[in-house]
Amino acid sequence: MAVRLEVEEIPGGIPAGKVAMWWFLASEIMMFGGLITCYIVFRLGGSGWAEASNHLSMTLAATNTLVLLTSSYTIVQAFVAAERGSAPALRRHLGLTILGGLIFLGIKAVEYTTEIRAGFTPDAGIFWSFYYTMTGLHALHVMGGLVVNGVVLLTAGTAIKHPHRVELAGLYWHFVDVVWIFLFPLLYLA
Amino acid sequence: MTSGKTHPNYTAIWLWLMALVGLSVAASFLPGGRTFAVLVIFATAFAKAILVLANFMHLRFEPVLIYALVLIPLLFLAVLAAALLPDFVWHSLAR
Repeated sequence: MAVRLEVEEIPGGIPAGKVAMWWFLASEIMMFGGLITCYIVFRLGGSGWAEASNHLSMTLAATNTLVLLTSSYTIVQAFVAAERGSAPALRRHLGLTILGGLIFLGIKAVEYTTEIRAGFTPDAGIFWSFYYTMTGLHALHVMGGLVVNGVVLLTAGTAIKHPHRVELAGLYWHFVDVVWIFLFPLLYLA
Repeated sequence: MTSGKTHPNYTAIWLWLMALVGLSVAASFLPGGRTFAVLVIFATAFAKAILVLANFMHLRFEPVLIYALVLIPLLFLAVLAAALLPDFVWHSLAR
């Protein structure tokens, strides 16, 4: 049987798929990091940012933070289930993870609708430009993660035999979570 | 994390994360100056990120190469921030 490329080990004994995923996440760190750094520098050099931020709903954002962190917990439990060879537990935890992502996007949609109706469109000021760019880019990543998790869910039978697939999907999902961990205080709390 | 290794206590990590979210939200309501509140808010954000990276993303079990893949882009970001800082300081002084 042919060895799958993603589980082949590079010198040092690390699976190639894991190195590739972390390499991809490194590029993502640069993208989100660059955006966040620019936001911080602009915010430190200007005024009126905290007042604009006060128009956001901290309750909805805090709820979203709890939802996304919980979905990180469920996907890591999916990995445990895959390692143990339990397909029903894998499907259940992946299903809960996807549900968490959908709830996150639903709450985000409610936020966007409320803000746009109040006149806070992306061109309403520099805070709002940053807000929609950062949260919009993050939401696109959540959607991407939902597709990946959906594919793993649909191929759960294969994932049981290759648990690293669940781990790699989880790495991406956790990264999306870590980005939100910083967006939440930067946009809603500080 | 390689298959078969011991997993951390994910439930305990998740409970810590929930508690830290509560702490960061509570800190935003602290009376008085904002400096202390902002420090607490970002300290909890870093604590949450480290918990997720170390445990859920299994960084604590990974070799040096994986750490390098995380730290090198962070180093580039530090250079970016340092490069932008003079511009921010100049405009702050000019106001």
